[in-house]
Parts: sequence; structure tokens; C-alpha cells
Amino acid sequence: MVPSNFTVQSDDCKICVVMVGLPARGKSLIAGKAMRYLAWVGIPAKVFNVGSYRRHNTPQPAATFFDPHNAEGERMRRAAAEAAMSDMLQWFHDGKGVVAILDATNSTKKRRQWIHEKCREADIETLFVESICDDEDLIMTNILEVKTTSPDYKGQDPELAALDFRKRIRNYEKAYETIDDNEKHYTYVKLINVGSTVIINQIKDYLSSRLVYYIQNLHIKPRSIWLSRHGESEYNLTGRIGGDSSISERGEAYASALPSLLRKSGVPPNTKIVIWTSTLRRTIQTARHLKAETGFEKLEWKALDELDSGVCDGLTYEEIAEKYPEDFAARDEDKYNYRYRGGESYRDVVIRLEPIIMELERSENVIIVTHQAVLRCIYAYFMNVPQEQSPWMEVPLHTLIKLTPRAYGTEEKRFKADIPAVSTWRGKGTSAKHQEFPANGQEAPLASH
Amino acid sequence: MDTLLTAEIVANSPQFRRKSSIFVDAIHDLPEKADLAPAQLYSTESGRLFHSGRIVIITVGLPARGKTHMSVALARYLRWLGVKTRIFHLGDYRRATIPFGEDMPDDYFYVNASASSVLLRQKIVRKCREDIYHFLNHENGQIAIYDAVNPLASGRRSLAKEFAKHDIETLFIESWCDDERIIEENVRRVKISSPDYISWRPEDAVKHYLTRISSRIPQFQTMEEKDLNYIKMINAGERLIVNNRSFGYLSNRIVFYLLNLHIKSRRTYFVRAGVSREVGSYKTDSSLSEQGDEYARKMTDSLLAHREAEKQDMIDRGDPSYEPRPLKVWTSTRRRTVETAKYLYDRGYMVRQRSQMSQLNPGVCEKMSERRIREEFPDEVAKHELDPYHHRYPRAESYHDLAVRLEPIILELEREQNDLLIIAHESVLRVLYGYLMACNAADIPFLEFPRDEIIEIIPESYQNEARRIHIPDLPAEIIPASPEDLKIPVPSSGVVSPIQGLGSPLDGAATPQSGYRTPSGLRTPREPERISQQHVEDVV
Repeated sequence: MVPSNFTVQSDDCKICVVMVGLPARGKSLIAGKAMRYLAWVGIPAKVFNVGSYRRHNTPQPAATFFDPHNAEGERMRRAAAEAAMSDMLQWFHDGKGVVAILDATNSTKKRRQWIHEKCREADIETLFVESICDDEDLIMTNILEVKTTSPDYKGQDPELAALDFRKRIRNYEKAYETIDDNEKHYTYVKLINVGSTVIINQIKDYLSSRLVYYIQNLHIKPRSIWLSRHGESEYNLTGRIGGDSSISERGEAYASALPSLLRKSGVPPNTKIVIWTSTLRRTIQTARHLKAETGFEKLEWKALDELDSGVCDGLTYEEIAEKYPEDFAARDEDKYNYRYRGGESYRDVVIRLEPIIMELERSENVIIVTHQAVLRCIYAYFMNVPQEQSPWMEVPLHTLIKLTPRAYGTEEKRFKADIPAVSTWRGKGTSAKHQEFPANGQEAPLASH
Repeated sequence: MDTLLTAEIVANSPQFRRKSSIFVDAIHDLPEKADLAPAQLYSTESGRLFHSGRIVIITVGLPARGKTHMSVALARYLRWLGVKTRIFHLGDYRRATIPFGEDMPDDYFYVNASASSVLLRQKIVRKCREDIYHFLNHENGQIAIYDAVNPLASGRRSLAKEFAKHDIETLFIESWCDDERIIEENVRRVKISSPDYISWRPEDAVKHYLTRISSRIPQFQTMEEKDLNYIKMINAGERLIVNNRSFGYLSNRIVFYLLNLHIKSRRTYFVRAGVSREVGSYKTDSSLSEQGDEYARKMTDSLLAHREAEKQDMIDRGDPSYEPRPLKVWTSTRRRTVETAKYLYDRGYMVRQRSQMSQLNPGVCEKMSERRIREEFPDEVAKHELDPYHHRYPRAESYHDLAVRLEPIILELEREQNDLLIIAHESVLRVLYGYLMACNAADIPFLEFPRDEIIEIIPESYQNEARRIHIPDLPAEIIPASPEDLKIPVPSSGVVSPIQGLGSPLDGAATPQSGYRTPSGLRTPREPERISQQHVEDVV
């Protein structure tokens, strides 16, 4: 017999993503997005924002606090970095995750060296992500964004806040050192002007390459994404799932109302929006009037087709419960992982949506007309909904969801078309029927920002 | 870089399809069936994926910078994802145009070349470009890789303009090197193994080769064209510079792949895990049996003896300093694969467990005999026989699921710089082998890995080559394909061994290669048809 008492190296590598860059370069946006992306594909990740540690003691510091010659400010910022670092190491030590993102300016070589050493001692790989931008318009947009959403300027006069923020940036600029050839032994990515030039240095493992791939798709230009299910379909009326039916009369009414609903949701002037649908009839029909009235470009994606329910395609929930009682119960047990016989699970849908997510990140304004399960997955990505919850979310018919990415989270607004439709939602462990979503939950946001 | 044979095929008869043989990497074949690729997530009517349109990837770089290696590796990955990709090596066209034995004009690459050289150049490029248009416009091709030196900025700009006229995007990939060691290694590995350099001392041959290149191509401008989409790979992937004018999904995905690629030549060995104590059970993760342990020991001896013999061979051939790359071992996290690595571990080899490499989940078929599966799930068996690659038994994984799950392993495989032994379940070996040898998805479930053989994959820049190393003196009952495994029924087929059979279904006849039969009834493959290098290189 072979004793199995010899140990071998396992493949779990831990990565600390270290953001580098002046304020208003989109660092927090990138950090937050990377964290959500990782969670969405099932890799536990967390952002450690040094600013929020600093705010414990100095909630709303003036720009002078960030002057490199201000010894007191320097000391406190150093303390905040140390606190964040220590929490992060503890978090890794407790086995809570694989990727930590250290969100701060980390603008000096000395600071980066310190981080690199601390991580190396704890056997954690570092990946520096520097965002460089000399496009003044973009910086201004970011400044305006930050001054309205950053906790540092909550409740302050926006004009004064913007002025103070620019001073703060100037103070950082005094001491800023970009990553250069003296640091070429580090693994790093340099994003210049929102990814128009990217320098990628010394990538050493798969996970880092995957992160870089994701980050490379990101941009920080302001935009919105609109999500809608198709209008009520004939299958919806009879409670059947799947299929490729046409939209009902009420569905057609929603299709006609969609252009004005979109306008009502707030579209900045001269905005170009691209329409995405699945390849199934009901989404194409729903987007028909929108396409005709606006003349926007339209793309049909096979990857946006509804979750394939295999042998259950075309059945009602009652019929499924009757024909496949075990499957029906198994699905309630673990809806995210449950795979229909001959069909797909939510997990499978997430895998096939990956190209869609990358393309969405690269795009600017997009309106997506798709199906319930697919929409849940896309929504979960933007709103950071955990896997146990996302398959149970209510996404009503005839409702337009507008998502606007902000530095500190995604803003969500919903617009109802006021055209009645059946509900296609079914609660966990309930009978095999579509039912109304609990009224008190109707308007509640499904996820916090 | 490649053979005359392929050059003629590609250049003179673009519609010719080489017969597939599993010995030979199928990366230069065009798949005959409009089949889904191994890791393809879905298909579209146009045959093109991700709304990415049509792209020509244009390589840039002096010879011996790994352009062809990169082109082939990239094509392998893109095809694996289901993107219809084909490589057009300009060198093939040049060799097909300039008759064998005749030299190309000395000034062929000069900026101020003579009129006749310019005409010749234009003729060759035009033919190549016509084939690219044909592939992209009439064969549903999505990505054409145009493998050439493209040394001048002006030439690159006009290429981009020319393709833009046809509504085809361009992405330049430059392979740039200032590390002499990398260049020298590359020259040694792929350029000087030709008859021209027989009996030369390797150092002298390298020097001679490099001198010839620099007199042939006196001018080379590295890419600085901010108006073009390009990726510059510096020193074999140490650093990448991406100039993104209008990168689409696929271009970004290519960057992702290149981040994991290097141009070093290393070997991959595949072996099965030993026999375990409790046979047929997927959930109980049981240890090796006595027989399994014996197998582990003999496998280790055979592998190390083989590596020692190879080393001796290289020394005898006049490279006294030859050292094989260090060997690393990857196993799955399942006990019997880990334990199969035991003797290697004892001898100091590094062993790494990879959780993604666990075998195909058999779902409800666990511990069931083939007969019982046929009785209990006749419908599923019927469906399985129609599409064994994509079909899943209830609660089970399909090969396609496994292929998608193995993507991180495939990229790590590209990233690994040492020789690598992979000990895994046959289902995992099938998929990994299918990737490295560009097998058709439909053929992957039928690949077999008898236990008395170590499969060795040798990368050459133009294509990979598979060889088998025999492990002697194993008891006959443990050799055949997975006696202890689940017998998920698959249609019987003439295809038997991974090294040999795959050509058969494509050829239409399941005739085994003229081969000998082992006592167990397994066919032994013929020797690999080695495609060796005939030319000193396209440029010189």
C-alpha cells in the first residue's frame, strides 16, 4: 500500500491587487468592478479602501492634509495604510478569500516597496494596477463624480468640494512617482488614458492574467446600461417556460411603449445607445419599435438566449412538478447549480455570459432586451448579488431597469411601463405556480450599492 | 520553418485538405465537419462568434523571435474556443513560388530592392492575400493569421489600409527581443537543425545564421504606429505593450492568451493514474492498490530512463552541455493520481495538485455497469451515442463541460516553462491531448490511453508531435482503457489509440494503421510521421 503522507504543493495562490494612481483616475471604480467580477465568477474577493480607514479619524479632511510636507497628515495616512494592510493580511490568514484589492493612491516607490515586502512575507503575490490619465476632460468628469458621491465631501458645497479636491490632487502630484524601470521586477499593469495604451509586466500566474484581461476591458467614461425583459409572451400567458413563442398583445403594447419609457428614464442628449437582444423571437419583437424609432444599431446575441430548460422546455411548473418531482425539488434546493436535464444551470449561464460581460464593459450605452434568468445573472454582476440569491430575484415584466456605474457602486432606477402582465416569479419551496412577488418587496432595491 | 510539402499544399492548392492523423498535430488542417470546437459555448449562423467581425492578425518581427510559434499557439487556442482561424505563413508562399534549390534574390528584403525583386515580392504577397480574402469572405473564416516579417512601418500601414478597404480589422502582434539568450536559444532550437548546418558547431551555426539575417534584413522598425492596433511582446512575454485603438472582444482575449504564452520549448508527458483499491467508485476517493503502486514505480523508472536516454542522445549528437529542462509533476487532487506521483516526489521532483484536473463527473452512472446504464437509461444512451462529446448523463458532466472547466489548466500549461508530467484520469488526458494536438471535438471521447504508455508531446514551432514511450512488464489486466472506470457507453468505433486512430473517421475508413497487435488486442501505432525541417529558414 502506498502511504499518502507526503505533502505536495497545492495550487491556491493568493493575490493582492494594489491600485496605484492619482485621485480621480478611476481607481475605486476599477477596484469595485474587479471585486464584483471575481465574486460573480465564484472567486472570493474584497476591497480594502485605505481612505475609509483614514476617515475613522479624519472624516472630511481639507486638501492640506494631503500635502507631503504635512507631517501630521503623513503620519495619519501611513497609519491608515498600516491598518488596512493588517486587516487584509488577517483576512487572507483566516482563509476568507483569494484576491484582496488595496485601494489607495500608493503613489510612492517607498510605499509600493513596503506593500510588496509585507505581502511577500505572507506568501501573497502582488499585482500593481496603475491608472494614468492626462485627458483633462476625463479627469474633470471624474472629479465631478467624486465630489458628488465621495463620503469625503458629503453635504458640502459642490463648487467648493471640487476646488478642494483639485488642490488635494495637486498635493498628491508633488510626491507622485509612476511605476518605472526600477520596479520592473514587479508584476504590474499600467493603464494609460483608460486603456488606450496598456503595459503589462511580468505576469506570473493564470489568475493575474485573467484579472488583467478583465481590467483591460474596463473604461471609466460615464454611461448607463438599461435592462429589460421581453414583453409578455404567449408562453408567459399559459405559464410555460422556454420555447420560442411570440409576444402577446400586452407584450406588443410594451414593445410600442419601450421607446418612450427609455426617454423617460433619462437619456442625455446626443447619446448613442446600442440595442442587444437574444436570438429568440420575443426579444427581437420587443426591441422592434425601439430600433425603428431611434435607428440605433442592434446586435443579436446567441449568448443572451434564455436558460435552456432541456426536457422541461415548453412545460409549466405544474407539469414539471408532476413529471419530474425529484428535479423540481432539487432545483429549489440549489437553484444556482441545478441543471435541467439536457439543459443548463444558472452557473452554466454565467459561463456563457462571460463574453457578454466583457463586451458590456468595453461598450458605452447599451440597452439589453433579454430573458428572466439571463437578466438575473447580468443584474447580479452589476449589483453584486450573491449566488444563493440571484436565481430568486424578482425581475418583473414590462419594467425597464437603468443601471449607472458610479465610483462607489452602481446606481439603479426602475421604470414601470404601466402595462399589465402576468408574473413569472415563483418563490422558493412554494407550489408549482407563478405568483405575485410579495408586495412589500416590490420596490425595495435588491442589492445595496 | 516548415516543410516543402506543406508549403506546396498551402500555396498551390488552397482547397486541399491533408488527411488527419492523430500522430500529427492537426493545427494546419481545416476541420471538415462544421462541428462545434472543443470549448465552444454556442454556434451562430454566420459561423462567426462574439460579433467580432473578421480580423487579420499580422505578425511583426525578425526571424528567430518566435513568430511562427506564437501564430500556431494562438490559432490552437482560438480554434479551441470555436473561432474559425487559419494561419498563412508567407514563407510557405515564398518557397512555393521560388523553385526548390533556387535561392531567393539577395535584395529580397531590401528597401531599395531591384525591380525584379519587388515584382517577385508583390507576386508572393498578392497570392497570400488572395487566399486570406477567400478564407474570410467565402469560407466563414473569422481570423486569419498572416505570419511574415513585416519589418517596415510603411508596409504595415499600407497592409492595414488594404484590409480596411475590405472591411477587415487588423491586429499587429510584434515579437521583440533584446535578450540575446532568448534569440540564441530560438535559433538553436528551430533554425539550425537543418541539413545545411550538419557538422557545424552549434555556436558557429547560430552566429552564421544571425549574420545572414542581419545582412538580409538590414532594416527593421519596431512598432510605434499609434494609429494601428498592436500588441508588442517583449522578450518572450516578459512584458506586453498594448496599443488599443479599437480592440474588440477577441483582441482582448488574445492579449489574455498571450499573457500566458512563452516561446520556450518544453515537453509534456501524459500518464494515467494507477489502479486504485476500490474500483469504479467516483465518490470514495480511494488509494492505490498494490498493482497501482507497482505501476507508479515502473512508470517512474520508464520515464526517467527515457529522459536519460534522450539526454545521452543529444550529447552524442554533439551538444555536450545539453541538459533537459527540469521536470515538474501535476496531479489532480484525487488520491490515486497524487499517489501515482509518489516515486517522483521521493526523488525530489516537484509535485503540484490541481483541483481543476479532477475527472469527468459520472453523475448517476457512478458504479453502474454498461449493461445497467443501458437498461436504466435507454433514452440517455441513445442521445449519448448521437453526440458523445456534448451529451451529459443525468447529474454528470459532458466532455464539453470538462473542456470549459479545464481552461485555466490549459493556460497554465502554456505558461509552464519546465517539462511537465500530467497524471490524471483518462477523461482529463483526452481533453488536454485534444487541445495540444488540435483534435476534433467529436473524436475526443474516443481517445484511449493504455496504461503501458507514456505519451510525450514535443512542441515544434510549426506543430506539435506526439510520441509514446512504452512501460514494460505491466500486468496485462491493468493496461487497457480504464478497467476500473465507469463504462459510460460510447458507440464502438474503429478508433483506438490517441496516437493513431483519429484519422480514420475522417478518411471514411476505419482501417487501422499497418500495425502490430499487442496481446491485449490494442493496436500499436506506427512511428510518427516526423515532419522535419528542410530549410534553413524562410528568410535566409
